[in-house]
Amino acid sequence: MSEDIIKLRSLKKIYRMGDERIAAVNNVSLNFEKGTVTCLLGKSGSGKSTLLNLISGLEKPSKGEIIIHGFHVERMNENQLAKFRQQYIGFVFQSYNLLGNLTALENVTLPLIFKRVGLKERNDRAMDMLKAVGLEKRAHHKPSQLSGGQQQRVSIARAFVNNPEIVFADEPTGNLDTKTTYQMMDLMMGLSARNRQTLIIVTHDMEISAYAQRIVHISDGKIENIVYNDKNIKHSGELVKAQGEAVK
Amino acid sequence: MSGFDLIKMALRNLWKRKLRTFLTVLGVIIGTASIVVMISVGIGMNEGYKNQIEKMGSLYVINLNVPYSYDDSNNKNKDKAKLDTATLEELRQIEGVEAVTPMLQEYFILIDGRNIFDTSIIGILPETMELMGFKVSTGRTLQEGDSMAVVLSSYAREEFYNPKLSWQYRWNGSQNIEIDPYGDKFQLTYDYSYGTKSMDKSIKPKKIEIVGEMDQNGQNSYATFMPLGDVEKIVAEREKHQKAAGQTNNGNKKKKGVYDQAMVKVRDMKDVERIQQEIKDMGFEASSLVDYLKQAQETSKMLQMVLGAIGAISLFVAAIGIANTMVMSIYERTREIGVMKVIGATIPDIRRLFLTEAAFIGLLGGMVGVILSYASSKIINMVSMNMGRETISLIPIWLGLLGIVFATFVGVAAGFFPAVRATKLSALAAIKTE
Repeated sequence: MSEDIIKLRSLKKIYRMGDERIAAVNNVSLNFEKGTVTCLLGKSGSGKSTLLNLISGLEKPSKGEIIIHGFHVERMNENQLAKFRQQYIGFVFQSYNLLGNLTALENVTLPLIFKRVGLKERNDRAMDMLKAVGLEKRAHHKPSQLSGGQQQRVSIARAFVNNPEIVFADEPTGNLDTKTTYQMMDLMMGLSARNRQTLIIVTHDMEISAYAQRIVHISDGKIENIVYNDKNIKHSGELVKAQGEAVK
Repeated sequence: MSGFDLIKMALRNLWKRKLRTFLTVLGVIIGTASIVVMISVGIGMNEGYKNQIEKMGSLYVINLNVPYSYDDSNNKNKDKAKLDTATLEELRQIEGVEAVTPMLQEYFILIDGRNIFDTSIIGILPETMELMGFKVSTGRTLQEGDSMAVVLSSYAREEFYNPKLSWQYRWNGSQNIEIDPYGDKFQLTYDYSYGTKSMDKSIKPKKIEIVGEMDQNGQNSYATFMPLGDVEKIVAEREKHQKAAGQTNNGNKKKKGVYDQAMVKVRDMKDVERIQQEIKDMGFEASSLVDYLKQAQETSKMLQMVLGAIGAISLFVAAIGIANTMVMSIYERTREIGVMKVIGATIPDIRRLFLTEAAFIGLLGGMVGVILSYASSKIINMVSMNMGRETISLIPIWLGLLGIVFATFVGVAAGFFPAVRATKLSALAAIKTE
């Protein structure tokens, strides 16, 4: 039995630019099934990133409802959102967004620190995550000592460390070369499949969308069409493991 | 975020910007040190006054005098205040009074074998002597039940002389008479010609016992103390003797039980002024060292406030420095704050992080500032000692602790506005900042 973990109802986001009103997201209704990978595909300025920001509560919608796990995200205040993110959501950013003065391990523990997880437990969990992304030997390096791909691995580890039900990835490979891009995608696929996590990827890259079970084309703030990917999904658990070995 | 993680992260952020943190802390150090040192000088001066005044006698004692009047002979002013047994009892009944003793000043001669010593004698109730703040250098003060007991004047050892020798010889103090104050051959007489050719053989010296010696740094140390009753007895005897010899002693005739002076010991220093006023209302003259102390303290309080204000200005400037550092830090860390918010930091987490950083700047500055204050205080005192003055800077422990607490508080207060500002950053806008 499938279960819709995210429900979007007539979502609208309107920006005012002087006298002009621009609808970045215009009347979007969409459901996300638990444990699936969805790709929001669109050109720059299509409103796909805004849609992601709305779903994750980073921006407030002008109209419409966002229901995650039965909670109305659009009605939450900042503190509730913070608690909500601690509990249910992980983020992977295009520009990694690691804290420069923390080591890789500490960056990964950060969500657990905010969640008040004890020192030993969070270090163990973060170390496990770093192992899963093949970076355990770099645990005590600062981000500046890591390559772009390695930084993104740390960022992925941070997104998954708390075992969130939903992981958002906003152009996760935008700053990476092709080879690394595939590595990252395999990694995310593998990790999310492990615990049946729902993965939502925003990208303009058709190649990447091939990983998703469902591709939602966005244009001018609207859903243009939805394509279901029947082919076997590109990743496998073995592949993730192999990637880990390769990094070593 | 737990307290431990908060502190760790705050310290790490401060450490990352070592130079800037150091400069900001330096401002707090100077601010704290200047305020603490300024106040310490005020406290030191206050203590100095107090010590000086306490040497003059107890701050708890009011000296009472019967006003001198010229028209004693004709009983014009009948309702003039009289210090008699009834009045003394009245004084004892005043709320807050611990003890009262009348004082009777006389002049007798002490005899130690061949040598004598002319001395002022003060007769007081023996049991009150210690209470009234009189100090001895050896032996003890007079006590209840003492009879013909004496506490020697602090000058006694130097001023015993042989009356048979010429006065020039004794004047230059070269007699070097060794006396044993606790010997058992001391006597007392009211025959002022004792030991000379004209001495009155009919006056028999009385045996006395020395129980102590006055401390020369204390009050009334020039005088020799005796129980009031003994002095009164000797005075009565002297009057009888003079009467028998046909001498009259005009003007000096005193009724027994009526006195010119008294001392009033007050239980609590803050009552001194009130009781002093009550005594004045009874028609007596009353004075206490608290009068002097009040004046001195008034002056030093003014000084203390001016000095404190100067110190406060530098701490205020330091506070602006902290606020500036924190605001700068927020601009620099906009993205970092956004990331923390997105991955689950709550608003209180962010606010507490910045407040903790500001508090640490204050705490660190306060601690080093107080250490610096102790060092400066020592140097100031060394300089003033070299110039032959007393200690002028004093930092009690409470002032040191207060300095640290206050500096920390200033840090938190200065960090408040920046911290609130940090929490208001939109997570999304913060992440987009490159």
